[in-house]
Amino acid sequence: MKTLLLHFCVWCNASWWGVAIRKSTWLFPFVEIFHLLALGVLGGTILILNLKLMRLAFKSETTAELAQEVKPWMIGSLIVMLISGFLLFSTEAVKMYGNWGFQLKMLFLSLAMIYTFTIYGRVARHDDGRFGPALRIAVALLSLLLWSGVGLGGRSLGYITTSASSVDQQ
Amino acid sequence: MFARFLQWLYETHFSDFMRESLWAEPIVETIHVLTLTLFLGFAVMLDMRLLGVVMKKRRMSEVLAQFNPWLFGGFAVMIVTGVLLFCGDPISFWTTTFFKVKMIMLVLAGLNVLIFNATIGRKVAQWDTDPKTPGAAKVAAIVSLTLWVLIIAAGRGIAYALPPP
Repeated sequence: MKTLLLHFCVWCNASWWGVAIRKSTWLFPFVEIFHLLALGVLGGTILILNLKLMRLAFKSETTAELAQEVKPWMIGSLIVMLISGFLLFSTEAVKMYGNWGFQLKMLFLSLAMIYTFTIYGRVARHDDGRFGPALRIAVALLSLLLWSGVGLGGRSLGYITTSASSVDQQ
Repeated sequence: MFARFLQWLYETHFSDFMRESLWAEPIVETIHVLTLTLFLGFAVMLDMRLLGVVMKKRRMSEVLAQFNPWLFGGFAVMIVTGVLLFCGDPISFWTTTFFKVKMIMLVLAGLNVLIFNATIGRKVAQWDTDPKTPGAAKVAAIVSLTLWVLIIAAGRGIAYALPPP
């Protein structure tokens, strides 16, 4: 499993997009800005939905109405993040393989996405009071925690340095 | 005169702390960036409503009332954390072009909000439920969106261009 993952990272590293972005002086910041902007929109939509779930804001409309407005932006920005993230990852995929900050980020990302599109969705869409406040707040806080984990993991990976040679020894 | 102020700021204990501490700058910068992620989504949704793209059935005044507290709160946190970051290395920041560009655009973004509130924003009751928003509101929204994209790009540019402390 580990070597499969490493092979994938090596392949991404050597891909034409990985090479092109790595070689260019401006492409990396250019893609990164899309990553940041999409992050901004995604963060906002997550917060909006969670504030509604915790009944802290947007009390005048139903969750269904709010979700209808916000979901396209949430999914759209998530897609931009995944694509731009993959492109950025490809420029130093092997280094990321050995970077525990990045690994944490990916773990949180997987958990956050699975959680959001299963349990979270199921609880969030019902306004009729079938779920008590304690459960709703717990579900909202977990969502904020998981997504924050992705952001914090992302912030941390810049501070963790790995050398490619240390990765080869694994 | 201003150069002397920056030099004085650079020599304060706080500035030293921000530079020397292992965790101060990362924590403040993380709060700065993560608050941005919360703030930007709200700003985009509000601008999209001003353009008449989303939440068309919801009254403009209602959307403004709901979003504004979070926008102002988020913006306040960003200003505070931004100032703290600046204090850490005032001279380096001030001499980085990206920083100056970002500051100018922040001022323009603030002006945009002020002008909107003083003009078309005051008459919001007139176009509250209009399916088509007035031209002036659309202009304010486009200016806002453009500025935020440029501000974020400039902010990222600072990180690249900043000389080491």
